[in-house]
Amino acid sequence: MNPRILVVDDDTALAEMIGIVLRTEGYEPFFCQDGALAYDAFKSASPDLVLLDLMLPGMDGIEICARIREESGVPIIMLTAKSDTADVVKGLESGADDYVVKPFNPKELVARVRTRLRPASDAATGTLTVGDLELDVTGHEVRRGDTKINLTPLEFELLLALAMKPEQVFTREMLLEQVWGYHYKADTRLVNVHVQRLRAKVEEDPDNPKIVMTVRGVGYRAGASA
Amino acid sequence: MRDFDWRGWVQRGAALWRSSLQLRTVAITVLLSSIVVTVIAGYMSLSVGANLFDASRDQLTRSSANATLAGQQVFDAADEGLGLEDLDVMMGEAARVIESVASSTGGTRYAILRTPGQDGPRVPSDVQTQGLGSASLISQELRSVVAESTEQRTYWQSVALDQTADGSVHPGLVVGSTLDIRGTQYELYLVYDIQDTQETLVLVQQTLGLGGVALLALIGVVTFVVVRLVVGPVRLAAETSQRLAAGELEVRIPVQGDDVIATLARSFNGMATSMQQQIMRLAALSQVQQRFVSDVSHELRTPLTTIRLAGDVLYDQRDTFPPATARTAELLHTQVERFELLLADLLEMSRYDAGAVDMETEPTNLVRLVEEAIESLTSLAASKGSELRLVAPGGYFEADVDPRRIRRILQNLVSNAIDHGDGLPIVVWVDSDQDAVAIAVRDYGVGMSQAALERVFDRFWRADPSRQRTTGGTGLGLAIALEDAALHGGWLEVWSDGDNGSCFRLTIPRERGAELRSSPLELPPHDEIPSVEDAHG
Repeated sequence: MNPRILVVDDDTALAEMIGIVLRTEGYEPFFCQDGALAYDAFKSASPDLVLLDLMLPGMDGIEICARIREESGVPIIMLTAKSDTADVVKGLESGADDYVVKPFNPKELVARVRTRLRPASDAATGTLTVGDLELDVTGHEVRRGDTKINLTPLEFELLLALAMKPEQVFTREMLLEQVWGYHYKADTRLVNVHVQRLRAKVEEDPDNPKIVMTVRGVGYRAGASA
Repeated sequence: MRDFDWRGWVQRGAALWRSSLQLRTVAITVLLSSIVVTVIAGYMSLSVGANLFDASRDQLTRSSANATLAGQQVFDAADEGLGLEDLDVMMGEAARVIESVASSTGGTRYAILRTPGQDGPRVPSDVQTQGLGSASLISQELRSVVAESTEQRTYWQSVALDQTADGSVHPGLVVGSTLDIRGTQYELYLVYDIQDTQETLVLVQQTLGLGGVALLALIGVVTFVVVRLVVGPVRLAAETSQRLAAGELEVRIPVQGDDVIATLARSFNGMATSMQQQIMRLAALSQVQQRFVSDVSHELRTPLTTIRLAGDVLYDQRDTFPPATARTAELLHTQVERFELLLADLLEMSRYDAGAVDMETEPTNLVRLVEEAIESLTSLAASKGSELRLVAPGGYFEADVDPRRIRRILQNLVSNAIDHGDGLPIVVWVDSDQDAVAIAVRDYGVGMSQAALERVFDRFWRADPSRQRTTGGTGLGLAIALEDAALHGGWLEVWSDGDNGSCFRLTIPRERGAELRSSPLELPPHDEIPSVEDAHG
């Protein structure tokens, strides 16, 4: 079955054009023009990925993003006309995985979508441990003792990337390439925001991280296994 | 060390002198007044002293004359037939009379001396008050003047009286006159102590001195207060205008009374108010305009995205189209791209115009940044036949810059160089010194005219409209680059020499906010195509 993609955008022409591009690439698009209806559309279509315009009538894209995140880890890519810091960061903080700035070209869009929908890397199987966490790579599950921690696929991938090479310090650029699939300079804020979101979930004290450690001036690395 | 301290004090004093109008005014006023007061007090002291001395002398000479008269009468009244030994008794009598008549507050001493060089009996013998060192006090000059006098008058001379009691010296006056005792001339000298007159004079002088000092202090205080009254409002006005200049548009000077200072305050406040209104109006206007440009740009983006997607879909399938349609799809594709760049530059420019830009600095290795920029443009340069070379004697440290903006400047400069480089090598220099880091991009192409140099940073200005462009610049590139450089507190300068190509030099301070004085690189850097073989390209 083709992956299903929900396109939330009030501009019908753009939505239709995105639909054409996606269909050419073998995805099945669904559309929603109204922010207020976006959440219901999400429930009924149960898509594999959401393309979400930040500026919407009815309900703010950021708000929709946060509501979807409350109950689903489905990848969300924002379509934004603003590359301004505040809006992008707000969107990422409310749970979007990635963003594309208008005007984008079909290749950019498809590359973003493909990265988020690619099957998890099967380089590793079995279980890994980071600090006091246990990563079930095959089952996409993270546990602390008996408690299961819910991570979005992106967050899981981020944690996995760090955990697979516990000795290595990852720069933000390395993580952007490995997790987000950017092969050239991209926005390092993506990494910063998602590391924060990940820490909020996996760290017992996010201000004093033990799982995702900051290496000053370089990047991040996994905490020592207990 | 002490010398240094001293200089420090002098410097501080000089600085205070320059900076404090109050100090200057008070000091000058006090200085001038003190000159006047000194002159007046000195004159008064001298004239009072002279007057006192004259009065005292007149009184003493008068008293001396009386004493002489009284003494003479004693002898005149004496019986003609008195014996010589009686004359000595008479002399004692006369001396007593003289002493009583001539007595003064300071104590009087006397001497009756026979004028030397006369014939006749040596009686009566000389008498004088005990302890009167007649030889030293009564000078020879005075004695000769008195002795040779033919008139009945007195002569005086000032002397210093040594006080045996405490060793001090009192001023004194010796008054001399003549007595005629039985045809023999005697000289009568009365020695007066005029210490009390001197004391009066000292008292007057002290009073004058104290009065002068008090007057000066008063003048100082009055000047201080007056200057303060005048300078205070001026200082307040200065402070207020500084705060205004710093952006506190709502500050005003409190207006008190109806005098000239109040007028100053009122007109100052009026100026501030009208300035504030003007600034607010302009700010609002600029905000509206900026909002508009930003809105337009954003509104354009959605349809542009659709056009772009559509164009790209067509472009990707151009092989299946008939040749004319395929070319159309190509043109659509490239022009949409150009339109997009233009829109992005316009938006950036509008941000600068609105002052709505912020730097995101991070420690950046500029040489690496330049290497990356060169790498990304190598293929474009190769297509024009130009070789890109890097010469980097310095700059291998982390500078606190906004890498996005520096990269943008570099791409701009290098693509311009490629455009105008005539296929000759293009050299990028990077160097640094203590305060700054510089990047120079040098091409050896057609160069620019003087008129072109002046306009090269203007918006939408093109060096040569007929010239073919391959890099598809928007015409805003250098204008934005200039703004980017200015945002870093740096310089972007251009040099060109007719046919020898041009050079753009970017200089940024190593530390944010530091002021640039010079650039580590010359403009243009040493003018030879370097034969360094680590050339890129």
